[in-house]
Amino acid sequence: MTAARKLAEPVRGQVDADGLLLTADPLLMRLHLRCGGKEAGPLAVPELAALCRLSRRLGMNLSRPVQASDDDSRIEMWVETRLASPEKDQPLSLSIIDWKEYPHDENHKNDPARDRDFDRLEGRGAIRTDAALRIIAQQMPGKAIRNFDAIGQSLLDIYDVIPPSAHAKLLEAVAERQPVRNQRLREKTGAQALFLLQGQPLIDKAGLFAGYRFTATPDDSVERQEPEKADTKGAAGKLISDSLFGMQLGPALRQPLGKIIANAETISSKLEGPLRGDYASYAKDIASAGRHLLDLVNDLSDLEAIERPEFTVAGDDIDLIDLAHRAAGLLAVKAADHQIRLELPDKEQKLPASGEFRRSLQILVNLIGNAIRYSPDGSVIKLHVSSEPGFAQISVSDQGAGIAAEDQERIFEKFERLGRSGDGGSGLGLFISRRLARAMGGSLTVESAADEGSTFTLSLPERTKP
Amino acid sequence: MDRTKQNDILRRARAIADKASFVADDFAHALFPRTDVPFNDRMRSNAQQYLRSVVRNVERRICEIATGDLGVSQEMLLSVGQGDDGQSYALLDHGGLLNRPEIVQHLFVKTQQSELAARLLQKISQEDLESTLTRHLDHEDPVVAKAAMGLLVAQSKTTGSAGEIACSLVDLPPEIVYAIAWPVTAALARLSGSPGVRLQQAAERLLAEHDESAGVARKAERLAQLLEQAEMQQKIAPHPMKDGLSLFVARLARQSGLTSDQIVTFTAEPDMARFIVVLRAADYPVQEALSIYAALDSGDNILTAATYGELDRDRCLTLVTRWAAPDAYQNADRILSRDYLGEAEK
Repeated sequence: MTAARKLAEPVRGQVDADGLLLTADPLLMRLHLRCGGKEAGPLAVPELAALCRLSRRLGMNLSRPVQASDDDSRIEMWVETRLASPEKDQPLSLSIIDWKEYPHDENHKNDPARDRDFDRLEGRGAIRTDAALRIIAQQMPGKAIRNFDAIGQSLLDIYDVIPPSAHAKLLEAVAERQPVRNQRLREKTGAQALFLLQGQPLIDKAGLFAGYRFTATPDDSVERQEPEKADTKGAAGKLISDSLFGMQLGPALRQPLGKIIANAETISSKLEGPLRGDYASYAKDIASAGRHLLDLVNDLSDLEAIERPEFTVAGDDIDLIDLAHRAAGLLAVKAADHQIRLELPDKEQKLPASGEFRRSLQILVNLIGNAIRYSPDGSVIKLHVSSEPGFAQISVSDQGAGIAAEDQERIFEKFERLGRSGDGGSGLGLFISRRLARAMGGSLTVESAADEGSTFTLSLPERTKP
Repeated sequence: MDRTKQNDILRRARAIADKASFVADDFAHALFPRTDVPFNDRMRSNAQQYLRSVVRNVERRICEIATGDLGVSQEMLLSVGQGDDGQSYALLDHGGLLNRPEIVQHLFVKTQQSELAARLLQKISQEDLESTLTRHLDHEDPVVAKAAMGLLVAQSKTTGSAGEIACSLVDLPPEIVYAIAWPVTAALARLSGSPGVRLQQAAERLLAEHDESAGVARKAERLAQLLEQAEMQQKIAPHPMKDGLSLFVARLARQSGLTSDQIVTFTAEPDMARFIVVLRAADYPVQEALSIYAALDSGDNILTAATYGELDRDRCLTLVTRWAAPDAYQNADRILSRDYLGEAEK
């Protein structure tokens, strides 16, 4: 999986005495921009900049292999520097006679489709725009029709920038092709939903600015005030409202927990420099505990949502085989950590069903995640599909210790852990998954015997094949 | 005693007095070496001989440029430029200007390379060794074939006579040319009484005309890079008797993320321990590793399949990754680890 570029002509650039990149061929310009550089700004590829500095300091022409990296790939180059003359203020010419790109390790690669699945699983939306901020793709939670309508329109025609964010600040970031952070937007029409927008500039293969990829998180901080006002009468005398997690504690806890996890991961990966081994290990424990808490917050939010009488699910047209592959993709790294192989149904097949995309994915992620958690390292987890009259079914079979017959119904109860602790589970996953399956008109069952592994089967109403 | 002899004794006495305080240092280094790397008399002699040649070549080229291109007409510079014996070595040696870490490290690497080449020649003839490279001349990718041809040509220009380290200005790393050119220029200015500015201009020209891409080391690295890219699908493991020393070292350096100089240095260390770890980290099969070890070893040590096979690859990878970090980081890391140990002991 390499992107070799047979260079008919070397990739050229010029760097002045202050290290500013004066001119650059498209490939070099693209790398420079992706490394955070600006046009006519300081050469932002550290390895190339170091070579230029050395060449200038020695007053000598150098010829060396150089490795550089951007978000997508590692690039191997062979670089020659040429000083125009002994005059120290003359530009230095860079000539890259070999250029080969290797995608980053699959496990660490940011696969856009996988990113989108994470976004959808966590209820985030995604918007892709062109360089003029016209929407060219949009996937917002539960808004299928408007998603389609938005395409081709300017982002600012569909959404209003609302305080404390500023319209000018957003445009300024776009003009400078800088990342967009925490901009609050409100839909101009319809439900006027609020979103928190994060965006990354996209650079195309010719090194040109090609637009943005935004993620839009529903912003509950304003919404949560509105229901409070509206429900003042109803909630009078009630210290805890009936949407404690979904509207109040959940959003309030997720942000600090996210920061704790991110910072602990930064410390444990020693990104900021070397660290004593035991400190790095403490930081890993902090990140792990943070993730556990975050999972618990998510589970409690879900629990609260499904127990509300008005809880409904959408009836999307879904394909269980496609969902199985997406869920397995999301958990691929976790499975690899335990040398567990996920055996999946043939991707070419289809098993149409009716159910909410995000909730069905959530159930499968929960089932596969449990299977990984309770299977021995090096084992195989099999996903297979089947049909029963009126229902499409997908099963997840593991080679774990199995569940005794008397416990097989208990595991679907709230907070039931069968006496286990310390494995990162909350005892809510299966309870929520079964409730979700039933809400979609299906079921979630288990077949197991002690020491023979377990098979969980999700059944959803069949949809006639298109 | 005639007056000249008296003056000579006085001069030498002054010079010895200047250095007297270092006698204990030198003796301490000989008595208490800080590494386990053995240095034999042949290596010392080769290193000194090579350093003299380097200084002589640099000085000759500076004199050529100064007298030829810049029109400086000074007798001593003219004679040095025309190939007479160099003048500056003794002065630089006396002034301690050649005892710089980067120069000494380069000397050590070149000396060890010469040792390895000699060991290799006990197992395969020079002709066979040279013919191994020709196999890449027919490579299907013309860029690889061209790079192989470049390496062959560069090597043929710098092959020295047996037992001598060939010194070619083209082959010197830029950092070494730079580290030697300026002290040589200063020495020439002092010895000849010529205007320093003209000699400085000559040195600048020497540096500017130096083409790093023409040296054997870079040619080997370039070919190693191209071969690795071409052989992504069907990997052929490097071997000194199939690739020749320069290309083998460059290929192994590339695979391991280390520098060629580090690989050469590892082969000088006791039992070639770090070299073995590098082979294991790069996942060389047992038989291949034993064969490489045997080709480069002086014959004193034995590596067994069991010893090699039992090395834990993950631990080897961790070690090699650590050695690939910048020197400044590794040094600081070592010092900080000592501090932590000290803290713990308190």
